[in-house]
Amino acid sequence: MMLKREYSSVALLFLLGLLVVVGCFSLTFGQIDVPVQDAMAVVTQKLQLPLLQEVQVTKEQLAVIWYIRLPRMLVGMLVGGALGASGAVMQGIFSNPLADPGLIGISAGAATGAVLSIALGTATTSMFAMPAFAFCGSICAVCLTVFLAMRNGKIPVMTLLLAGVAVGMLLGAVTSGVLTFMNEQKLQQYLFWMVGGLDYRRWEHVYLAAGPVLGGICIMLLLARHLNILVLGETEAKAVGMPVVKFRMGLLFVSAMTTATSVCVSGNIGFVGLVIPHMMRMLLGPDHRVLLPASALGGAIFLVFCYSLGRIVMPPAEVRVGIMTALLGSPYFLYLLRKMQKSVFL
Amino acid sequence: MNNVVDISNLDIGYGSRCVIRNVNFSLKQGEMVGIIGCNGAGKSTLLKTIRGLLPKQRGVVKYMGKSLEEYDDKELATKVSYLQQHVEVGFGYTGKDIVMAGRYPYMKWWQRESKADEDLALNCMSYTGTIDLADRPVTEVSGGQKQRILIAKVLAQQTPIIFLDEPTTGLDMVYQEEIFRFAKALAAKGKTILMVVHELNLAAKYCQRILLLGEGSLLADGKPQEVFTEALLSRAYKADIQVERNPLNQNLEISTRISQEDREKEAALLDKIC
Repeated sequence: MMLKREYSSVALLFLLGLLVVVGCFSLTFGQIDVPVQDAMAVVTQKLQLPLLQEVQVTKEQLAVIWYIRLPRMLVGMLVGGALGASGAVMQGIFSNPLADPGLIGISAGAATGAVLSIALGTATTSMFAMPAFAFCGSICAVCLTVFLAMRNGKIPVMTLLLAGVAVGMLLGAVTSGVLTFMNEQKLQQYLFWMVGGLDYRRWEHVYLAAGPVLGGICIMLLLARHLNILVLGETEAKAVGMPVVKFRMGLLFVSAMTTATSVCVSGNIGFVGLVIPHMMRMLLGPDHRVLLPASALGGAIFLVFCYSLGRIVMPPAEVRVGIMTALLGSPYFLYLLRKMQKSVFL
Repeated sequence: MNNVVDISNLDIGYGSRCVIRNVNFSLKQGEMVGIIGCNGAGKSTLLKTIRGLLPKQRGVVKYMGKSLEEYDDKELATKVSYLQQHVEVGFGYTGKDIVMAGRYPYMKWWQRESKADEDLALNCMSYTGTIDLADRPVTEVSGGQKQRILIAKVLAQQTPIIFLDEPTTGLDMVYQEEIFRFAKALAAKGKTILMVVHELNLAAKYCQRILLLGEGSLLADGKPQEVFTEALLSRAYKADIQVERNPLNQNLEISTRISQEDREKEAALLDKIC
């Protein structure tokens, strides 16, 4: 059931509202329940906004909201938004509804970077070391994939996908190789990063991710109309005067950078980049000018919702967000696969 | 009249393999020209190379006196539009989305389509009889309807030169002739049409000029009655071709001739099979 295009701005506003609601839900519920008004008061008082200044908040509430839940929620929103928008862009670039940011080696590169950082011991000396290694790993993997796929200034989509698979396997082997030489403690550290999560995320992570993610999403939104043309195929796009390689490479690198940033602050979180753009395309149609903001908002909503749900589903333990997104995302993905045989979205 | 397209000493092919050597021809404004030749003769390769979609091996291609290399992508797209052989449109894009793509070369990178662009796209759809399909996903329309939507896109591109690569492949007789009629009407309006054609009878009926490819070169270039000769066609198609004039409408009719010997061979084989 696709919404009429005239209503797309209403739908985007609705998604924005839903994000606020999910955000409030995330701040409110957990091992310590904080009333919405108090949670809001913490935020407004900390930001010195002329709102809810009269509400008395306890030190405990302040600590829980400001230092624990808010940064995690914001990281969740940034990561979800980045994965959703990048997923939509990747699916557009490859004209393939099953494309995912992980497909061109981003996740494998990040994992190799992270494991090297742990093995070298830099991960324990600085909190930024592992994200930096993961980021470099992803960018190197994407560069290698593109380099392998490029022929005479052209990047055939199928070759790019196959090169991505090959690079992913190669880096997977490197990661496994390094893992076999690591001690128990380091293995635990790697596993903790591998199962993507938002726990122990702090304001530093928000600052780290905000620039590249928001910047990347803005660039993607600016290029959304061009992506509509790119989706029609290389020849068709060239025939209407688009410098295809330039745009394809540009979009590929922006989405790779955005995804790499999100992977490096939260570890691997699957299915957001795959499922959310699909869902949004089904609801709002294929126009990337609507699809990209909707996927960014949808990704943020889905991730924060999964994170909040993971916290309350079996207290006092927390189910990590990477597990929740896969648990909720994979049945939906399988349903899509079944349905797609007849679908017009292929 | 001035030439709008000038091709000289053009060699085309893939990589180091040359498909056609030393092609020379020019197109004038308002001409409707068909490229014919057997399968694998290099018709589509020629069209794509001239449009700049494939690299040429040698030679010069000029549009309005300016060589292909001097045009940037967008400027070239305002001069020449190109309808490709097979277009696969996924993701549920509608007819209008496709036609609006024709306005791309006229927009700066940050601009959105204006109301005027939208009106033009809808007028093009009305002309090709596809206005009812404006909001339908292209994956849900028939082959003929899709082709007319793509022609509307080419029209929305508002170029003086139009290249059509086998625009009638896979369409039924009615749609085939309709597309030739569209092309003829556009040529009458001053647009230059260069099209790859498989249906020789329709090419003979509608095209003013024919380029015949065969034996790795441009075998003939002239009016249909000059090119559609049994000798030339038989050379190009490596088969015994028969050309007759229909006494009722004076149209040329082209068919293959099978020798008595071949017919007997086939009959003997059929007896074995059936």
